[in-house]
Amino acid sequence: MMASVQWPEMYLVSAILSVLAIGQSVLAAEAEVRRHWSFVQPTRPTPPAVRNAAQIRNPVDAFILQKLEEKKLTLSAAADKRTLVRRLYFDLLGLPPQPDEVQQFVDDNSPRAYEVLVERLLASPRYGERWGRHWLDLARYADTNGYEGDAEFYHAWRYRDWVVDAFNADKPYDEFLIDQLAGDEYKHVGGAGGLPAPDPDKVVALTFLRLAPFTEPRGEESRDILLSEMVSTVSSVYLGLTVGCAKCHDHKYDPIPSKDFYRLKAFFASVFIAPPRAGDSQQLGGPQPAEFYRPGEKQRIEVKAAAFRRAAESVDAEFDQFSKPLVERLAAVWKREKPKDAKAPVVRDVERIFTAENNNAITFDKGDPTFSVEERERFLAFREQQRRLKNNLLRLEPSAMSVRNADDPPYGPSVPQTHVLLRGDPDRPGEVALAGFPSSLTGNSDAATLPLDRYKRHPTRGRRMTLAKWIASPENPLTARVMVNRIWQHHFGRGLVETTSDFGRNGSKPTHPDLLDWLATEFIETKWSVKAMHRLILGSSTYRQATWATETGLAADPGNHLLSRFPRQRLEGEVIRDSILSVSGRLNIEMGGPAVFPPLPEGLDREQRVQSINTWETSPEPDSLRRSIYVYQRRSLTLPMLEAFDAPVLNASCERRRTTVTALQPLAMYDSEFVNGESRRFAERVREQAGEDPDAQIRLAFRIAFGRGPNESERELGLSFLRAAAKPQDRLVGLCRVLLNSNEFLYVD
Amino acid sequence: MLAEAGAADSAGWKPFAPRAPHFPRKAKRCIFLFMAGGASQLDTFDYKPALRRFAGQRLPRTPGLSGEIDGFLSDPHRTIPSPFQFRQYGQSGRWMTSLLPKLAAHADDLAFIHGIKVDNNNHGPATMHVNTGSQFPGSPSVGSWISYGLGTPNQNLPGYVVLQDPRGAPVNGAAVWSAGYLPAAFQGTLFRSKGVPVIDLAPPKGVSREQQRQEFDLLHAINSEHLRNRREEAELEARISAYELAFRMQTEAPGVVDLSGESEATRRLYGLDNPVTEGFGRQCLLARRLVENGVRHVLCIHGVEIGRYSWDDHGNIGERMPAHLAEVDTPVAGLLSDLKSRGLLEETLVVWTSEMGRTPFINDLASEKPGRDHNQWGLTVWMAGGDVKGGATAGETDEFGIKARGEPIPIRDVHATILNLLGLSDDRLTYLHAGRYRKLTDIGGRVLRGVV
Repeated sequence: MMASVQWPEMYLVSAILSVLAIGQSVLAAEAEVRRHWSFVQPTRPTPPAVRNAAQIRNPVDAFILQKLEEKKLTLSAAADKRTLVRRLYFDLLGLPPQPDEVQQFVDDNSPRAYEVLVERLLASPRYGERWGRHWLDLARYADTNGYEGDAEFYHAWRYRDWVVDAFNADKPYDEFLIDQLAGDEYKHVGGAGGLPAPDPDKVVALTFLRLAPFTEPRGEESRDILLSEMVSTVSSVYLGLTVGCAKCHDHKYDPIPSKDFYRLKAFFASVFIAPPRAGDSQQLGGPQPAEFYRPGEKQRIEVKAAAFRRAAESVDAEFDQFSKPLVERLAAVWKREKPKDAKAPVVRDVERIFTAENNNAITFDKGDPTFSVEERERFLAFREQQRRLKNNLLRLEPSAMSVRNADDPPYGPSVPQTHVLLRGDPDRPGEVALAGFPSSLTGNSDAATLPLDRYKRHPTRGRRMTLAKWIASPENPLTARVMVNRIWQHHFGRGLVETTSDFGRNGSKPTHPDLLDWLATEFIETKWSVKAMHRLILGSSTYRQATWATETGLAADPGNHLLSRFPRQRLEGEVIRDSILSVSGRLNIEMGGPAVFPPLPEGLDREQRVQSINTWETSPEPDSLRRSIYVYQRRSLTLPMLEAFDAPVLNASCERRRTTVTALQPLAMYDSEFVNGESRRFAERVREQAGEDPDAQIRLAFRIAFGRGPNESERELGLSFLRAAAKPQDRLVGLCRVLLNSNEFLYVD
Repeated sequence: MLAEAGAADSAGWKPFAPRAPHFPRKAKRCIFLFMAGGASQLDTFDYKPALRRFAGQRLPRTPGLSGEIDGFLSDPHRTIPSPFQFRQYGQSGRWMTSLLPKLAAHADDLAFIHGIKVDNNNHGPATMHVNTGSQFPGSPSVGSWISYGLGTPNQNLPGYVVLQDPRGAPVNGAAVWSAGYLPAAFQGTLFRSKGVPVIDLAPPKGVSREQQRQEFDLLHAINSEHLRNRREEAELEARISAYELAFRMQTEAPGVVDLSGESEATRRLYGLDNPVTEGFGRQCLLARRLVENGVRHVLCIHGVEIGRYSWDDHGNIGERMPAHLAEVDTPVAGLLSDLKSRGLLEETLVVWTSEMGRTPFINDLASEKPGRDHNQWGLTVWMAGGDVKGGATAGETDEFGIKARGEPIPIRDVHATILNLLGLSDDRLTYLHAGRYRKLTDIGGRVLRGVV
């Protein structure tokens, strides 16, 4: 359940041994014998024969048992049904089961009760939210650019929704990845004439390429940074190859690895980002048109947008009324000061006076007698209101934070050449690199064949598709392995290869290489169905076993790498927040749409505000009660509660959450306004259903929080706690708060 | 956040347990003073009288420059010599602006590094570079590396505390003190400078300490019941003690930020009696109290992202520099004197830096109140305390203060030097991430022997 930290003495032995450096050895004559395991295409191993065959439910178990039996271990007995239902709910939905849902499963004695439950959960829309969140970590999803201003990516949320939908619909993984790399290049270009417009959902999928942090651009240097980031992220997410370091630091070694990096970069050479629109102060660049709506969404959005427009009109009118006398007053001042050449001031001039301290180049004349402090505050409040309404409207535009190809000749230049950059320095271009796949995988450094339309009118087109198809090919030795390993990681807390985004030489070796290969080939045979992998893994005895440790198990395999018991796992920050809302009965399960802003601890927004561009637009209930996947992901500010439980700032792809234990966690769980508000609601829910009897209250509170009733000693503890006060009912909130803070609430067996 | 509480990622490993340095050094802790916005080296510590000869005219081209500044220099521009008096101070004869009279009294305690280059000419990436060793977000900050390397002596306080300017956040916000790819336990904890220092440190409204104690006792009992069959899981036990530590921290942490026990003389020393110096004075005094109480690293930020409280003086350097300097002179000098008189300076490394330097010219020919542009080649850093060679200088810029003579000093050398002064080797302080052993200096830094 815990990521391993290498500590303390890690000398720089192998330093920057890029996996691409392995390319050299492949080119060498004796290459085949030394070929790295993950670069060889998996063959389908036969599930091994094992002694304890009675424990086998499906081939997964055979591979696991084989390794266990080598250490004279075996699988643990199956977990009880209450444990299993809770495990499945958290694993597949990221939410606890309600007491009646637990009971229903416990009471269902049909032989297929477990499979039926799995199917029901896989069909729940909450599933896509849970597993989509895992993908958003990989995609370094955020709603803002980071850096200066931390300005908003207004349309990134459509990608978040697209990912949730893709998981819910079980979109085949090969298609899922092609959509994100080259979704705009599917349509066949046969004849002459213009290019066919890409499907709107594919335009949204391409947002993947644009989610990197972005700083105010500096020409060529910034483009190099953008494309290089695409290369390293695509490569680590889809191929489990960490090529990023080959960009500049491998100059000490051999030119080949560096060249491979730039050969990959050449696939992205024709990527075009729309230039900034008016008002894009951080110059993030514009969106692409994308009329992408989920069922019923277009209508909902139109209603919302109309309401925002009406609100904006009325605020504008009020503001005009308010600001007019201010402008007139300024006009009078100007006239008095420069009677000859006074210009007529406009609202912007008043604003400049009010916001002068935000300007580095001029000095604000403090204590300007023309306006009062109250007027300034009111003016700025109006501006903030207008800005928020404008933001709300922008977010609803039919656009995606996406890319397309540059215009083809004659309207634009042809594809720019990609050069190897010496030391990664854009000012020092070296030899030309033609688009090609990593030599470590193909065994050669040939240029990839880039298909052109028959009239060769669209030379910018087809590069990303060529790369995407190569990645999605069943022959690619990495793609399927990397994805099934990610799925395994989320079920068991650790991948068969522990370094899920690094299958190179510096990555860890698989604990069960045959199982990994068997799963990879099975993944391809089931047409890259992620849900088929869930069914398979969840159906195994390996998954269904109990978490209890035994002396023998601990002695033979202390880290539980061989899985002689199910690994207990701590919930992620998002799941903890969602579960608290579920237990209090207040979770709002509305899906999709622009992000929401749950209340922050007092003062935090002001303290973390960046340039006033990005203020926290605190949402009212019930919006603030939605699942955490819909919370605004601001790179300069994470909800303290999620942050305490290791939710990362996604500046780069994150393949695995950590689970730390810190004293900030008790503070977030015990002291925060959020948990205390929900504890009160939880207590109200208990009282509503259980009445005033302390015993009944304790039973119900346990069943809601843990999916089980209290044992005798817990019941006693609870009763004496409630009775210690003059009015026991005052203590119910305290009891509920304690249950939310307990280990059992955060750790799933 | 607290040592015994932290099993971090792997069972038995305690992120905050104090750890021995790689080699002995006097300094045990660090106060990192960060001037946000790009403080002008030319108007503070990098004295360039030659600029006077070119006042109002173009400067000759500087060889070896590239990027934006090279572009600036080929555009029409006019040279702006420092409008301030410079004097020599101390035995070392250090040239400094006369606008830092109190700090100047410590001239012989300070060691300077000139001509430092950062990788980007924008505030965002440059701030990341100076604070985390990489211009891209996602790498651990200096304080994270130091607390990862040395742990922390006081288990009731965070090991790494951030005190930001009471007027607002710096560029990049919390990314500046992020733990990056290190475990989250090593990220800086933002302290508020008034009232309750940590978010959510106060018990829920209407819950007495007595009641809280009883709830914690119930929690402990329920958790112990849960633990009975799960003894092998170190994290569960760690979490139980985390609650006890949080309980203690609720009482102890507010005490550390409570300045009421400080004498009038001390308050004056830091400038708490003057509204101009009160803000940063409070931060510096808090920094001393924190390191005194066993916090390993304190990041003190002066200046906010944009506006007149930022050191980003594109205009009116003549009025704005005196304003910034007046805000920091008394507090920083007070901090050094106070540390010294308490015998703490020996054990405390104090670092002053900004994210970049500034140009000796302006490209706006018309401006009546000229300022300066960004200069990624011209950063000046000073250090004091521990094994720092007071009065020494490393690196030197050209006669116009644009760029180092010879090879520029990369920021990674400054980072290697900071680690070295705390007894850590940048080569050995590594963490396996994304396929390679990462470190603060990325490809390795040189310790600047001139100042150590």
